Amino acid sequence: MSWLSLLILIPLATALGVVVTPESKWYARRWIALWGTGIVLALSFVMSATYMQAVQQRAGDASLLTVSKMEFEHAVPWFSSMGIEYHVGVDGISMAMIVLTAIIIFTGVLASWDVKERSREFFAFLLVLVTGVFGVFISVDLFLFFVFYEVAVLPMYLLIGVWGTGRKEYSAMKLTLMLMVGSAFVLVGLLALYHAAGAATFDLNKLAMVDYSADLQSWVFPCVFVGFGVLGALFPFHTWSPDGHASAPTAVSMLHAGVLMKLGGYGVLRVAVYLMPEGAKQWALFFLVLTTINIVYGAYAAIKQTDLKYFTAYSSVSHCGFVLFGLCSLNLMGFKGAVIQMFSHGIMTGLFFGLIGMVYGRSKTRDLTKMGGLSRRMPWLATSFYIGGLASLGLPGLSGFVAESTVFLGGFFGNRWVDSSTMRVCTLLATSSIVVTAVYVLRGLARVFQGKISNPQFNQLDDATVAEKLCTGILVATLAIVGMYPPVLIDLIEHAIVPIVNRF
Amino acid sequence: MYLQPEIIVITTAFAVLGMEMFLPPRHRPWQTPVTLLGLAIGLAAVVDLMIRGEGEFLNGQFRFDGVTGWFKISFLSAGLLTVLLSADLLGGRIKAVPGRDRGLLYRGEFYTVMLFNLVGAMFLISATNLVNLYVCLELATIPLYLMVAWRRGDPLSSEAGMKYSILGATSTGALLFGLGLLYGLTGSVDLLTMGEQLSFGPATKLAIAMVIVGIGFKLTLVPFHMWAADVYRGAPLPVTAYLSVASKAAGLAFMFQLFYRVLGNGLADVSMALAVLAAVTMTLGNVVAVVQTNIKRFMAFSAISQAGYLIMGFLDRSGAPSMVYYMLVYVVTNMLVFGVIGFYLNETGREQIEDYRGLARTNPLVALAMMLGLFSLAGIPPLSGFVGKFFLFSVASKAGFHWLVAVAAINSTISLYYYLRIVRQMYIEPGFEDDPPIRPSRSIVTAMGLSTVLMIVLGIVPFFYETIYEQSRQWMAGAF
Repeated sequence: MSWLSLLILIPLATALGVVVTPESKWYARRWIALWGTGIVLALSFVMSATYMQAVQQRAGDASLLTVSKMEFEHAVPWFSSMGIEYHVGVDGISMAMIVLTAIIIFTGVLASWDVKERSREFFAFLLVLVTGVFGVFISVDLFLFFVFYEVAVLPMYLLIGVWGTGRKEYSAMKLTLMLMVGSAFVLVGLLALYHAAGAATFDLNKLAMVDYSADLQSWVFPCVFVGFGVLGALFPFHTWSPDGHASAPTAVSMLHAGVLMKLGGYGVLRVAVYLMPEGAKQWALFFLVLTTINIVYGAYAAIKQTDLKYFTAYSSVSHCGFVLFGLCSLNLMGFKGAVIQMFSHGIMTGLFFGLIGMVYGRSKTRDLTKMGGLSRRMPWLATSFYIGGLASLGLPGLSGFVAESTVFLGGFFGNRWVDSSTMRVCTLLATSSIVVTAVYVLRGLARVFQGKISNPQFNQLDDATVAEKLCTGILVATLAIVGMYPPVLIDLIEHAIVPIVNRF
Repeated sequence: MYLQPEIIVITTAFAVLGMEMFLPPRHRPWQTPVTLLGLAIGLAAVVDLMIRGEGEFLNGQFRFDGVTGWFKISFLSAGLLTVLLSADLLGGRIKAVPGRDRGLLYRGEFYTVMLFNLVGAMFLISATNLVNLYVCLELATIPLYLMVAWRRGDPLSSEAGMKYSILGATSTGALLFGLGLLYGLTGSVDLLTMGEQLSFGPATKLAIAMVIVGIGFKLTLVPFHMWAADVYRGAPLPVTAYLSVASKAAGLAFMFQLFYRVLGNGLADVSMALAVLAAVTMTLGNVVAVVQTNIKRFMAFSAISQAGYLIMGFLDRSGAPSMVYYMLVYVVTNMLVFGVIGFYLNETGREQIEDYRGLARTNPLVALAMMLGLFSLAGIPPLSGFVGKFFLFSVASKAGFHWLVAVAAINSTISLYYYLRIVRQMYIEPGFEDDPPIRPSRSIVTAMGLSTVLMIVLGIVPFFYETIYEQSRQWMAGAF
């Protein structure tokens, strides 16, 4: 038994605990969920500390420059005729993602403190979803990876369909189907890689040692990139994201935009880029252009939105574009920036969606034009919102700045396989989106929180409850810690990125 | 001697028939436990034989080995679950009787006919001789015509029976023509000798085409699927459930016999045709399923698309274990879904998809079982349906049919769409006003519980697939 298995067993056990809680004690469910996710959160911190120690001990080991070294590794044969194993392990990238997931689900439970309607199913599905997410991040075996990937996607259908708002059935179906088409492409790619390797293994690091022919890589790479890219909101496959996020209940939006969309970037980095460097070189330019459109288009679309959730969802599309943009620059800076952006955007967007849920729960409207002056009634929520907004427009001192500047540097350095002037033009265009972001974030926030109270009913509203203060406080603190002292994150991920870059 | 399971099942069939003749009507419900017991002992006998190893009987006319054992397990489990599903209908324990004949009469005959059909299928996979093979296939088909038309008073049931038997007879004609050609080309009726003698010419291709017509009917491959929707709709529900798995498993058994033993060396030549057939079948099945409103017709098209996935296993020589495994998975999963459908139909008389609304509130456990079953059919991990499909896709990928893998994977998404339509009705839509919770009977609970557990265990515990894999490898070594 590895420590890592606890990351999937604890949420599952918690889900079970939630299911068996009798209906008369519905309030006990949230406490069970909070305890379960709290233990996971503590565990994730302990594990990253242990991981850092292990990394420092083997500093200077030259053999680690080309192969990802996994910690907490544990393998049990599963379908051994196919070489499938229950093989788990983490490196710095997955460790960072695990911490992110743990933070988001813990705060997500806090944000759903008042879910009373069918709370049994709600918390159970939420915890199953998180099990899937943790499972993806700890998998080394690609079969296992794929299994967890789909487990993470599917509960979303019911979570949005049952507890969502607005056009929830439509959004839930659209989201599920688009993501499943994406995973269909991933499946085609995985099987092709497996059989081309001929090594009867799905082990990521063993597959990485195989030299795939350039022909194979030239069609499998885009297959896998687009497949994961759908989840990472790659233009033009991002259309599920605004509808899905807008309809989802608070905790689900947080988890989905905060963590699930990161599975896309994570998959692209882990499977597409790591296993198929040749394919990445051939296709870098194509995807670079797409992701530039992603960034710019998302930002401009956000300006036009009047619904707070659509507004944040489009801003997410733009920010997730940075992740994929960083990956397309194929250098150390770019990869590093992409991973930092995954973390930073996860926290930031989790904060946004959490806050939107809290504000909406009070004002009963998400329409920007109908809101105003709310900071007088809810100073805590307004302040948190401002901090999140400033992080998203890249203010130094908050994590967004670290992430975006690293991505832009990566893009500007470029690589040998893409014409450097094209690269720089794309980077400049992407950088310009920062200005657009500043416009929509500041304008949106001013409209909601500044000025006179637009609706007399708003005078009765209260500020955040204890649970909500804890939820937003944790997220704001994380943004600030990573922003003020980036090494806390960079040291964690750097050792894991070096082997991937050295393959180019 | 390797005939114990068959002898047990036949004995049970005659015992049940005897009970029908000699017992007064009030004691006849005992026929159900007797049938169940017979099938359970039969299953135990198969497992016992599998542990003891393989062998031949009757001068090599009857062969028992690992793969035949797994097929027999599929058949017997299908029979066992069908008996559990039909108990309520045969016992008249149903609430909904709107007008026309909804129950099932003649308990003893029903079981007898079903058991004969099972024996036919069990002999089919063990036969080593073309004539036996054909006779067994008929025995595994003709009782089904009777079962489909079991409700004499119900025009839908009679129509279904008529359609099924006419189309079935036509396809059998084509099949027999193909088999005759194969005999003429090789001059032997022993399957392995035929395989050695067979050379590939135009006549062989014609023979293969004719055989595929015959098998396509049983497996519901497009364009030989026409009967499926009407027959599924018209037949009494337990029969539909039985038909959907047993007929398909028998078709697959027949295909195993012919494709691996006789056509083994030429399989690569027909792989392109099979790939196209698979792609067309799954696409048509899935696309048409989207617009269905009746859940039985819906399941018919779902079954058609599943057949498309299934025959992907023939694209590469390593595909046998994937198909055997998928068949087993399909039996338990489909029986689970049909169990829920039958239960709901018996209790409320509802069989439209939108009638399932609110089921998650009135009967959360039944809805959960249904959702898991549908997800397994759609191929969602970690349920066994996913694992089975993954292995089948892997076979196609290994044979180089990457386009087919893409078509199949996208088809899985389409199928997810229509399976989610039912999930949506159950979980999202508000239910009927003042619908009381329904209590499933003990036999239905047993059937659902058993198939749910098996469906999950098959996908997580590697023992089953690994055993099938090892045994098919030996079987394939013997087949060529």
